[in-house]
Amino acid sequence: METEETMPEASLQEEVPEEVRAGLNLAPDEEVRVSLSTDIKLDGHYGPAWVLATDRRLLAFSPDGEGPPDIVQVPLAEITAVEIRNLLASGVLKVRTAREGTTLALFSKSLLPKFSKVPDRIETLVKQARPAGDQEEVVKRTVGGAKTAQKRCKQCGRPIREWMGVCQACLDTRKLFIRLMSYALPYWGLIAVSLTLLLTATFIGLTPPLLMRSLIDDVLAPAGGRVQTAPSAQGLRAEPPPARDGGERLPLSRGRGGTSRLAILVILLLAVNISRNALAAFRSYIMSRVGQRITFDLRRQVYQHLHRLSLSFYNERETGRIMSSITQDVSRLQDFISEGLQEVIRNTLTILIICIILFSINPGLAALVLLPTPFLIWATSHFSKKLHDIYHGLWRRWAGLSALLADVIPGVRVVKAFAQEKREVDRFEGTSQALLAGELRVARVRSLFSPLMTFLTSIGGLLIWWVGGLKVIGGTLTLGDFVAFTGYMWQFYGPVESLCQLNNRFQHAATSAERVFEVLDTQPDVADRPDAIPMPRIRGQVEFQGATFGYEFGKPVLKNLNFVVEPGEMIGLAGHSGAGKSTLINLICRFYDVQEGAVLIDGHDIRDVTLKSLRDQIGVVLQEPFLFNGTVAENIAYGKPEASMDEIVAAARAANAHDFILNFPDGYDTFVGERGARVSGGERQRISIARAILRNPRILILDEATASVDTQTESQIQEALERLVRGRTTFAIAHRLSTLKNAHRLLIIDKGQLAEIGTHDELIAKDGIYANLCRMQTELSKLKVW
Amino acid sequence: MEQEYALKQELNILDPKHLRLFLDEFEDLTLELEGRGTFKPVTVMRAFPVTDRERFIILKDKAEKEIGIVRDLSDLDPESRAALAAELERIYFTPKIVFVHNIEEQFHIPKWEVETDRGPRVFEIRSGRHNQDLRVLGSGHILIRDADGNQYEIPDYRKLDPVSQALIEGQI
Repeated sequence: METEETMPEASLQEEVPEEVRAGLNLAPDEEVRVSLSTDIKLDGHYGPAWVLATDRRLLAFSPDGEGPPDIVQVPLAEITAVEIRNLLASGVLKVRTAREGTTLALFSKSLLPKFSKVPDRIETLVKQARPAGDQEEVVKRTVGGAKTAQKRCKQCGRPIREWMGVCQACLDTRKLFIRLMSYALPYWGLIAVSLTLLLTATFIGLTPPLLMRSLIDDVLAPAGGRVQTAPSAQGLRAEPPPARDGGERLPLSRGRGGTSRLAILVILLLAVNISRNALAAFRSYIMSRVGQRITFDLRRQVYQHLHRLSLSFYNERETGRIMSSITQDVSRLQDFISEGLQEVIRNTLTILIICIILFSINPGLAALVLLPTPFLIWATSHFSKKLHDIYHGLWRRWAGLSALLADVIPGVRVVKAFAQEKREVDRFEGTSQALLAGELRVARVRSLFSPLMTFLTSIGGLLIWWVGGLKVIGGTLTLGDFVAFTGYMWQFYGPVESLCQLNNRFQHAATSAERVFEVLDTQPDVADRPDAIPMPRIRGQVEFQGATFGYEFGKPVLKNLNFVVEPGEMIGLAGHSGAGKSTLINLICRFYDVQEGAVLIDGHDIRDVTLKSLRDQIGVVLQEPFLFNGTVAENIAYGKPEASMDEIVAAARAANAHDFILNFPDGYDTFVGERGARVSGGERQRISIARAILRNPRILILDEATASVDTQTESQIQEALERLVRGRTTFAIAHRLSTLKNAHRLLIIDKGQLAEIGTHDELIAKDGIYANLCRMQTELSKLKVW
Repeated sequence: MEQEYALKQELNILDPKHLRLFLDEFEDLTLELEGRGTFKPVTVMRAFPVTDRERFIILKDKAEKEIGIVRDLSDLDPESRAALAAELERIYFTPKIVFVHNIEEQFHIPKWEVETDRGPRVFEIRSGRHNQDLRVLGSGHILIRDADGNQYEIPDYRKLDPVSQALIEGQI
């Protein structure tokens, strides 16, 4: 597994086979520092090849069929550049010397994570190998950036389906269920009650056929026997002849005794019915209660955990997926915990008891009942699997349809502007037709399924009717036994069917569980160290010491940044898009941790202080300010919920927001709507500035705070910002350089490196990137005037 | 802490001892402010019309320019207070609903038939703006703005009769 924390030595040194060692002719005192296997040989065929770095050279060993292996070597001291070429479907490790370039290894995209660490390591080795005093940089490069498309399972390496998010092959169902059950543990009392109720209800539910038997054999049949001209009735009727044990029963049923017995039985049946249903109702309430409590616990735990996770977690995942794991997955688990498991218990138990009763009544007939069972099991599993597969396809088609809608409807202006209505309708029709086809398939399978089931079970029934009927006629079985038998038989097939379908339910629950646990098991990359101390009140000195950071393997966005910002200084950050300005700010806020070097505030490494104490003292105003669905006052006080009305109004005034707020009929109590949709961009911006002002941060970050508003609003916001900036260390990113006119110093970032730093005048005098940017913008603004 | 002080300075709070509010002969609200003269007519509004009606009353002059803020109604002298309260009462006319006859929903537009402390009333609430036009504050307090902008309130719906309560429960 790839963890970044492991020492490079460890992960970049693999066991080298003896023949490779032998083939390479290493000097006896030569130390192997890096040894990596690749999966593509230098001749382009698949096969193991090796790259080694010793303390003096770089070596490549690549077997070449029958012939002698290809061996390449480059002395470390001559290397000027190390390159990983991330190609469309493979990767190349290449080094350059002053004279030539050499390909050292080819590898498949699967090994990219491993190889992307190589350049750093080689750089260190090269520096060690060079004669002292040679300070020339080793250029490290990652060329190309074709993204590794598939996410893979960490355990088995299988690609993970995008919409699934979990590797189904690695689902350890049993372990998941044990873990799930641990959530049910706090409610064991209720669960035990429910289980007892369930068992009782199951037992009671099994009594009616027995009562029926008694009703027929002990009450009705003898009475019926009396009506008929007794023994001669044997002929065609199914009624049992009173011959067998009728001798004892006849007197009982005659007269009042029979009626009272009938009454007792009917009352008993009624009681069974009432108690069974009452118990079921009670149980279902208890179980829903348990289920809802568990869902509540899980949901809260998941949400709480989501807020502990770092930004990188959110960058890797779609919002929709995260949301569905809080809502849908959790409720699916509830269904499983509260119903699925009890169902298993109830069905198994029912089947067992019925078997016992059936066999005790008449083993021969019982065997007949069991006869269709294997077919039933086969048919149910087969069909439910098939249905499941079809449903899955159907589900994806539905998703496709909604994706189409979500895509086209918001873009309806474009559709109209290009007069493409017909094409969109056709496109929809195509998708819709696919859906129709899918639905029809489901309908076909389903309409086949239930008649087939009925048929299978009724075959059992017919057998019983025939064989049992013969027995009744033959006098070896009482009518009551027969009725009881058929009654149990019908109760028997239901549980068998539902047990067969349970597998799917389990599979679903397991998938959901895995997704939920995946979230719960993710550890935040940025977290408080155990010995973290609260950040004392910040004076405002910010220092970057060789800070290097990248969002992906081997692709640093910021490289070796070094600078110091004094307390109260306002720093303007400028540079081309994608130069790394926002990343720099992310590092100050510690949304991410630097990979090398450190960021210090007042001399404290920000990784040594608690996140809360750090971020409490940082205020951020973003280009697209985010307001939560609440009132204006609540949004202003978001970073300081205990703020008084005085403070809120004062902050709003300082942010030039007071006047427009009072123009709303509800004043400060106005709802801003979801994401602040009911207020304009400039208003949102000023509310967010008020929010930052109220927080009274020691370090202020303005990320393109005025980029999305018109010039007049901008001047109002600028005025508000000037008040906010006073006396605080401020980092301001701006594309419109005029916004940075108040900055004490400007920091120009270019391709992840600190290109220029100094005051406006200094940088203009230097005539570098900044001067160029300024000139371009002046040109542009001239154009605007015309 | 010096920052905190600076922030407070942003507030344009009027000293209650140095102001007098009254209705003049034209029934215009008039403000006499010591050292700054007389303003009339003065328009007033609540900064927090929902959460705190007695505090942060904004006074504006004819040109809608803010004169200042009355921090708390109860700081004023009784006459000024009465004048200001009466004006606010008129501006924020909000009858209290005491009984709900019926709430009928057609095309997602709920139509309320109610009894208020000012008499019977029928009104509709715009659809899709529920949390904005039907605001449930803490402890059963409900504020309603109808489709035409009229306001109503229910101080605590849980204290209404069961029928009204059930009808309201269906809406919030």
